[in-house]
Amino acid sequence: MLNYTPALLKETLIQDLQIKEISPIMKLIVRGKKREFISAVGKSLNILLPTEANTSTQSDKLTALWLSPDEWIIFSNDTMNKDLNDYETEKLLQNNISKINLGAVTDVTDQFVMINLKGNKIYDLFQSGSPYNFNNFQNKKGAVTQTILGKIDIIVHNQDKNTVNLFVRRSFSQHLFSWMNDAASRL
Amino acid sequence: MFLINCPFCGEREQSEFKAGGEAHIIRPKQPTELSDDEWAEYLFMRKNIKGVQFERWNHAHGCRKWFNVVRDTSNDEIKAVYKMGEKPPTI
Repeated sequence: MLNYTPALLKETLIQDLQIKEISPIMKLIVRGKKREFISAVGKSLNILLPTEANTSTQSDKLTALWLSPDEWIIFSNDTMNKDLNDYETEKLLQNNISKINLGAVTDVTDQFVMINLKGNKIYDLFQSGSPYNFNNFQNKKGAVTQTILGKIDIIVHNQDKNTVNLFVRRSFSQHLFSWMNDAASRL
Repeated sequence: MFLINCPFCGEREQSEFKAGGEAHIIRPKQPTELSDDEWAEYLFMRKNIKGVQFERWNHAHGCRKWFNVVRDTSNDEIKAVYKMGEKPPTI
């Protein structure tokens, strides 16, 4: 049974920077190398997986982020129904990908926590704990990067100007959240 | 600290990577036919030179891919970066 309890119990607003968890969001990791795999995902979900490094693609229901040349994370743009435990998207992919050995589909809804950050000081916050240079990233809508923040592995997605989605492993989420609140209070 | 140009993600800071030791060490085809000394030679002995060295690196906190780096160990200057399976450049 999936764990739909939010990992973070509150949302905070510090110096114009809003930090909150979005839950429950469906998250899937798809892996595959063949060209047929990319087209099969495209046909099943009506979304083209980004093949260019550090980019993302979006449809009305889903967003796909590039993680690695053979790995993508697909997440729902809207929150899911809390009472249901299965997703049409995952079923479609399992039938069209897993069952014919084109690639792998893994449900990571539970594994990753999606934190949404809003405000014009996001990158000042990231700067205080990440080795990544966000200069180009912040002006490029849809940019994606995997890096470290406060020594924790994160996936960052530039959703819009001054709006960022951040994915972090669930067991690290509370620590990262308190780290971000602490760092934000001193910006 | 230095920057490494990951062949998949672009330029990133060293702390995102893990070093994987010397590159292009070929595993013996018939390990059972080797003497203990020869096996130890393959398993443990590394050149560890001061100067240009061919190394494996892993972008552990990024795309998690392995690749090769040609690095000068005396000043950390990176001469070349190339993917696994590609021919090492002549330097």
